[in-house]
Amino acid sequence: MDSLPNRNDVLAVADDVRRRTLAHLPMALERMIYLASTRDYNNGLYYHQGLASRYSEAAACEALADCHRESFRELLGASLEDLVQQLQTYAESSGAITVDFVAAWKELAPYRVAVPVGTDPLAADFVFSNLKVALAIFETRLNPRWPASSPE
Amino acid sequence: MIALILYLGVGVGLFVLMYVLARRSHAPVEGSAHQFVEARSSLQTLQQGLLPRDLINRIFDRQDLQYVTKKMPAEIRRLFLAERKRISLSWVRRVRLEVLNLMHFHRAHSRFYVRLSLPTEIRLALDFAGLLLACRLLEAIFYFRGPYAAPGMVNLTASAAIRLCMTSEKSLAFLNATNIDQFRNKTTPGSAVV
Repeated sequence: MDSLPNRNDVLAVADDVRRRTLAHLPMALERMIYLASTRDYNNGLYYHQGLASRYSEAAACEALADCHRESFRELLGASLEDLVQQLQTYAESSGAITVDFVAAWKELAPYRVAVPVGTDPLAADFVFSNLKVALAIFETRLNPRWPASSPE
Repeated sequence: MIALILYLGVGVGLFVLMYVLARRSHAPVEGSAHQFVEARSSLQTLQQGLLPRDLINRIFDRQDLQYVTKKMPAEIRRLFLAERKRISLSWVRRVRLEVLNLMHFHRAHSRFYVRLSLPTEIRLALDFAGLLLACRLLEAIFYFRGPYAAPGMVNLTASAAIRLCMTSEKSLAFLNATNIDQFRNKTTPGSAVV
């Protein structure tokens, strides 16, 4: 990959990503997971064929990393109630059976590998903790007795 | 004979002491570059990782607590409170650890500072001591009474830590990459060029 992309190119690519792709992903959670999926786990570099051919591989990589950090910050700032909503919408849009989705997320915690590199461990841990609670709330809502079993 | 045993004992004691001191591989070299880099890293962790207002507000935000208390069953409330307690304890412990690193740096660094001001140093020492004490108190409060028991003290501690970071930043300003530019292309008496 060519080194040190021009900052203006990076900003242009980031703008492109936001307009063309991220605009269709309204929730920070799905944006973060999508952007994490463009990262190669073997070297930590982001890759997007369309962007790399339009601009340069290095600029695309930097721009995707910027957008990833941005979506993580948004998720960090989301309230628990908002996070439950995001999780529910994401589960419904994933096409998986909801009960299976909850089981897989509880077991595998896929969000743990979706944080940007260089994130402070406390911030990452806080988001994981909120997602764990949000998942428990979401699971409770799947219970047919909900909301009868809610507040004591 | 008794005197000989006594002298031998003192000799062996001194030898053991010297051996122990010589084997202290982790003993820091005062004023070494390692100390500066470590202090810089602590400062960055505090400023960018632990003390941003947004993060502190989110961790100790009562809105989440209200949501869980009003709308969720007891087991969810317990899980939420346990998680927030874990996070708040982790936050205060890390703040304390990084402040401790900064204090060690200041203590070592001040020995090499010629224009030392006694009142400033005393104030700084009191600030460090107060902050470390506040962190310990907060840790105890979070442990026994939960993360929402002392919001005022959290804010005071964070503000005090931010002030100390600003003081430390001045001491470490020369390690900023931007400050190196002013030395570029200048030569030293030994003709070394940056």
